Amino acid sequence: MIEPKRVLRALAEHWALLEPLCERFDGGTLSLAELRGQLAAQQLDSTPQDITNLLDVWIRLDILVPVAKSPNRFELNAQIHDFLAYLRREHRLGLCLEIEAYLRHLERLAGHIQDAFDIRDGNDLARQLRLLDMRVRDVLKKLDNDEQALVAVAERAKTSDRQIPLRQRYAEVLATWDEYVEPMIQLVNADGAFEQGVRKVETVLLRLLGEQARLGHLVDDDMLLRTHARILEMQTSAQLTLRHARELLLPLREEARRHNAVTRGAALALSVIRRKGIDAVPQAAMPLFTRPQSTFLGSASQVEAYVYALARFEAKPAQFPKAHKSHKGAAPRAPRTVKEMLERCEDALPLPDLMVWLLEQEPEGATDELLYWFSRLSREKRFTRARLERREYTTQEHLVSLRSFALTSSREPSPEPTASPTHAS
Amino acid sequence: MHLDLSELSQLAPIFRELFKGFHISRRDPELYAQLSNFQDQYRGLFKALGFELVCDTRGFYYFVPELAAAQVNKTAQRLSLFTFILVEHLADQGRDPMSVLDGGSLGRDELPSLLEKYRDLFLQAEVQTPDELEEKIMRRMTQLGFASEDNGIYRFLPPMHRFLDVCLSVQQDRDLAASLHSALPLPTPVLVVEETPEELNRTDDPLDLSPFEESEEDALARAIAQEQQEIDA
Repeated sequence: MIEPKRVLRALAEHWALLEPLCERFDGGTLSLAELRGQLAAQQLDSTPQDITNLLDVWIRLDILVPVAKSPNRFELNAQIHDFLAYLRREHRLGLCLEIEAYLRHLERLAGHIQDAFDIRDGNDLARQLRLLDMRVRDVLKKLDNDEQALVAVAERAKTSDRQIPLRQRYAEVLATWDEYVEPMIQLVNADGAFEQGVRKVETVLLRLLGEQARLGHLVDDDMLLRTHARILEMQTSAQLTLRHARELLLPLREEARRHNAVTRGAALALSVIRRKGIDAVPQAAMPLFTRPQSTFLGSASQVEAYVYALARFEAKPAQFPKAHKSHKGAAPRAPRTVKEMLERCEDALPLPDLMVWLLEQEPEGATDELLYWFSRLSREKRFTRARLERREYTTQEHLVSLRSFALTSSREPSPEPTASPTHAS
Repeated sequence: MHLDLSELSQLAPIFRELFKGFHISRRDPELYAQLSNFQDQYRGLFKALGFELVCDTRGFYYFVPELAAAQVNKTAQRLSLFTFILVEHLADQGRDPMSVLDGGSLGRDELPSLLEKYRDLFLQAEVQTPDELEEKIMRRMTQLGFASEDNGIYRFLPPMHRFLDVCLSVQQDRDLAASLHSALPLPTPVLVVEETPEELNRTDDPLDLSPFEESEEDALARAIAQEQQEIDA
């Protein structure tokens, strides 16, 4: 049996050393070497022997206990750890299941109270009422602890490094929501275990009050009323804790969810763009905004010139042929058809130089027309072409520099070998 | 509604900015305060003029273009693509994309590595060099009020939520997700049958338009095919 006073005295005396150690022990166990290192860092002027003595005291007082199956590792005695956590206002979130278990116990106690009253056992009734009262206090204490722990969870999430991904930052929030808040919502629901338990105990207590008035007092009415009041306080406290938890954690949870959705959406959009191109992203989703350049008009002189040209715009008079007038000059030649040109070209094969042939055929042809025929005829399947050296050709209006082709019929064996691709450039 | 124009002291600059496509946020405190204080008046006045002023509760104002002109333009696509890339890039780096795009900042020196990493995607937005990235995306973002630039640091402004909303709507688009994860093969592109021998197209002939004007080449090929049919007939 360790004397409580000695434990308390040791805690008070070594508080400066124990408090920082608590934080380390919150994270897990410590080896003997780690413990010695920690203490040496805090007590720079102490010798190794001093540290050994100190650890010895703590182990003898059961403040430090060896970890099961690891005699070289130590942890704080669970009872001491809880006590220190209480003193340091460090709250660890409990389980919703614990509250549920307490409530089941309350229901059972209500049954025992009823039984004790039925057999008119005053002592047992008083004992059961005391047990009930203490259990309600346990629930209240636990709710208060949990509320503080929830505040700490939210604070940790909000103050942690903004550079780490939100999913990691809010991992504790999300886990707390799933493991504590969500089950608590179910528990405190109108048809949940909490309400049912409270209602059952309340009914028993109120019936007891009425029966005592009728059959005579086994216990003091005040005791019943006090317990009843505490039950109602517990109910209110649970609802407040839950509301507080929702207010604290719901925005963070929503933020985390939104963050996840944004990251997932971006990844999805990028994979769609990679596979199907940028137009595959639904257009309806795209933001619409006026383009900045849509209001661009140009320089003042440009605008002036444009307006001037508009104001003095004159359409070219259209010359329509008149039925009663005969043509005085030569009739304009109808444009040549592709079929016609192909036939003429085929008849003229082999052509040593397509461009020369075209100029002979159409000496007055416009340059663009000649170039069109050059392009069209040189690509015709029924001709085999061979690239010639670059030279200049004079059309009616221009001097054109190009590498012409020699054409032969592709139906007959070519008299000249076709230029190899290496010669073509 | 009774409008007192003397109250709307910033009407001209507000209209000028909004008309240009600019998003007014708290970065322009005077204009923003005017719009916040006389939101209904401004909205009513602009509506009468045929402009729809959107007042986003996240802290910014902008004009919605007319429906007739409401085609998604290249800029919207580019800026959306940039947002997608940035979100993924930051998430890959273990940074929080939301804290960067919602009021955070990005250094100009980070752009070249971003371009290098996502070169294939930027290519689709016709962005190939860091200069083009700055010109076509970052400058446009600042012009439209999505970001501000100061000493080589781009700070993202609340209107960026419009692009984050795009991410959300893509994420909610079940059809898009289904099409992406579908086991069915992707449609194979149909290749145009070459009418001329391949080697004939490999020329530097100034008249050979195929490398320059693909559409004209196709048109010519089609015309030749039609004529061929006529001739054969």
